[in-house]
Amino acid sequence: MHLAYTSEQQAFRAEVRAWMEANVPKKPLVTLEREDGYHQHVEWERKLASGNWGMVTWPEAYGGRGLDLIQWLIFEEEYYRAGAPLRVNQNGIFLLGPTVMEFGTDEQKARFLTPMAKGELIWAQAWSEPNAGSDMAAITSKAIRDGDHYVISGQKTWSSRASFADWGFGLFRTDPDSKRHKGLSFILFDLNAPGVTRRPIRQLHGDPGFAELFFDEVRVPVANRIAGEGEGWNVAMATAGFERGLMLRSPARFQAAAERLVALFRKHEAAAAPAAREQVMQAWMDAQAYAYNTYAVASKIMAGGHIGAEASLNKIFWSELDRAAHRTAMQLLGASAELRHFDGGALNTWLEGYIFSLSGPIYAGSNEIQRNIIAERLLGLPR
Amino acid sequence: MDFTITEDQAVLTQGVRDYLAGVHAPELLRALDASDSRRSADVWQGLVEMGLPGLLVPEAEGGLGLSLLDGVLIAAELGRAGVAEPLADTALIAAPLLGKAGNQDALLAAIATGEAKIALQHPVNPWVADLNGASHVLSVKDGALLLAENNGRADLLESVDPLRRLYAPVAAEGTEVGSADALLDHAALIDAAQLVGVADAMLEQATDYAKNRSQFGQPIGSFQAVKHHLATAVVKIEFAKPVIQRAAVALAEGSASAPVHVSHAKLAAADAAWAMSETAIQTHGAMGYTYEVDLHFWMKRAWALSGAWGDRAFHLARIDAAVIGGALPIGPGHSFA
Ligand SMILES: Cc1cc2nc3c(=O)[nH]c(=O)nc-3n(C[C@H](O)[C@H](O)[C@H](O)COP(=O)(O)OP(=O)(O)OC[C@H]3O[C@@H](n4cnc5c(N)ncnc54)[C@H](O)[C@@H]3O)c2cc1C
Repeated sequence: MHLAYTSEQQAFRAEVRAWMEANVPKKPLVTLEREDGYHQHVEWERKLASGNWGMVTWPEAYGGRGLDLIQWLIFEEEYYRAGAPLRVNQNGIFLLGPTVMEFGTDEQKARFLTPMAKGELIWAQAWSEPNAGSDMAAITSKAIRDGDHYVISGQKTWSSRASFADWGFGLFRTDPDSKRHKGLSFILFDLNAPGVTRRPIRQLHGDPGFAELFFDEVRVPVANRIAGEGEGWNVAMATAGFERGLMLRSPARFQAAAERLVALFRKHEAAAAPAAREQVMQAWMDAQAYAYNTYAVASKIMAGGHIGAEASLNKIFWSELDRAAHRTAMQLLGASAELRHFDGGALNTWLEGYIFSLSGPIYAGSNEIQRNIIAERLLGLPR
Repeated sequence: MDFTITEDQAVLTQGVRDYLAGVHAPELLRALDASDSRRSADVWQGLVEMGLPGLLVPEAEGGLGLSLLDGVLIAAELGRAGVAEPLADTALIAAPLLGKAGNQDALLAAIATGEAKIALQHPVNPWVADLNGASHVLSVKDGALLLAENNGRADLLESVDPLRRLYAPVAAEGTEVGSADALLDHAALIDAAQLVGVADAMLEQATDYAKNRSQFGQPIGSFQAVKHHLATAVVKIEFAKPVIQRAAVALAEGSASAPVHVSHAKLAAADAAWAMSETAIQTHGAMGYTYEVDLHFWMKRAWALSGAWGDRAFHLARIDAAVIGGALPIGPGHSFA
């Protein structure tokens, strides 16, 4: 164990910092859940790509920098330190990109990875259905083979960014007689293809952050299928594997929130409830603990190890610390907490953040599902 | 930057775990509980033969010269096994302090051979553990750490933990060998490390019980309420471990921020162990409320170690001064400040 950065790592940090200081928009962007904000965020992705900062962990061959996981952590720290915008390209970076790298053909890699790296195509994930949420194996949307096409019918829902995104990736039942995990395939589709209807859904904050997708005999080339027919479940599980367990939420995000929370507490200290002081300290401690753990997992993976069911521990820890930190902020704000904009017009980012933190324990496998996984796979309790 | 433990560290830790699982099983705890002294010369001799008292003693004095990071890994094993002998105080807390003090070669050598045992007295605790039987006492006066031979006869104070032997504090005296704060930081760190071991032991007992006890025709561990209580405890325990390791490295390096990280470690470990203790007894039902089931040894150790070497209020106050007070840089990029 050696808990200090090498001179190369420090130089790398300085390089990221300099680029961010020169390029991060001075004025916060409009939320990416709204059309104007979405386009601002796409512009930002292209800016990142122009500096080759879009896909830092991807191999250079696919438009990345081939950075290791410690460098990724440093990059993220500088990204959040600079207050840079949220990543509208997140699905591409962490979910679809690694999946195509692992399971895609050379032709698929050439076709999809470069535009993804450049921020030219923004992707939405379409796994959930009205009757397949936690129970994803209950998917019923079908993709029926017709020559060298699939004909897709059915419905997806809760697809983040699908209101405005370009393409989607989803799981569809290619064997109509199959049940549960079998007979599903992983298929990429153009959200503007004939027969696709998007119905934006207003989220808790009022903006259309996700959408329902209706498929009415949508023709999709078989060449858009990743991996073999019927292998979709395994591909999806791999996608949800280590990248997601480690990379979905970097610690810097929560360290930044804890830092702002400490500042908020100092401002409201005189009127704060006695417990608030301890909650603020807990937010800092938990963000730090999450950082140490992430550095430990990153080091382990770099040394050839793997992350398995431990990913479920991470998911619970970051989502619950995030909600607690934002709840503390809301309580510190007291009667101002409900204001969407403060005096002077600044957005109440604590309110926005609290609203979003409520979804953390739900998406990416609800925390109840994660607790089931911990109990059954880590502790070996009977199903 | 490398946040892994080495293969050697993993092998050593596993070796100690296996050894203790053999010689320091729950039957031994019950036998000690039934004895007058609650201590066993045989057990101590076995620990000596394993080389454990000399783990952190420099090689020149006959020890293994290992680091505080090794120390916290071994301390967790002592907690897991519910070790009663005063090994942690002497080998993992006093030894590194005396190593730093200088001029203590003879005493360090005697620690490595198992002849010397050091009792630790600090005003933060209203007791001294294992004062009887200790050859020396480290005590505190005006912020200084003093070393003296132990000649006093001490009054026993009864702990809820039947295997802890606590005594009323004695007059502080002796030669100066360091600072009171250094004792507190080292002891709080090793205390935290023992607490996660204690928590892991309770988790294992509760999990085993949940697999084997049936109600309504099925193992209680198949009920989701039971699963989720245990899973919640696992999260707390696993996220305390890297905090302890990080604090061990900071303290070993003498970093100025080490006390904050030690306090974080102590709070995280105590919260995890305390939560685990309540989950473990709940999982056991009425069985858990008895003296017959071994769980109580670890529950009581968790309560004891949680209050020892700085309670919640003490350690929160140090976090408060650093984080809210602003002495410590915080935020992204300051993970290792
Ligand atoms: C902000 C946000 C963004 C999202 N983005 C996407 C996206 O881009 N693409 C996509 O495909 N999906 C997305 N989702 C959907 C998300 O994956 C699902 O919400 C999630 O899988 C839970 O499914 P559900 O909402 O149907 O809840 P349900 O499965 O109906 O669960 C409801 C409640 O029951 C509990 N429950 C269910 N089953 C069990 C069980 N076996 N044991 C114990 N408790 C159980 C759950 O934990 C939850 O508390 C998003 C969701 C949110 C909130």
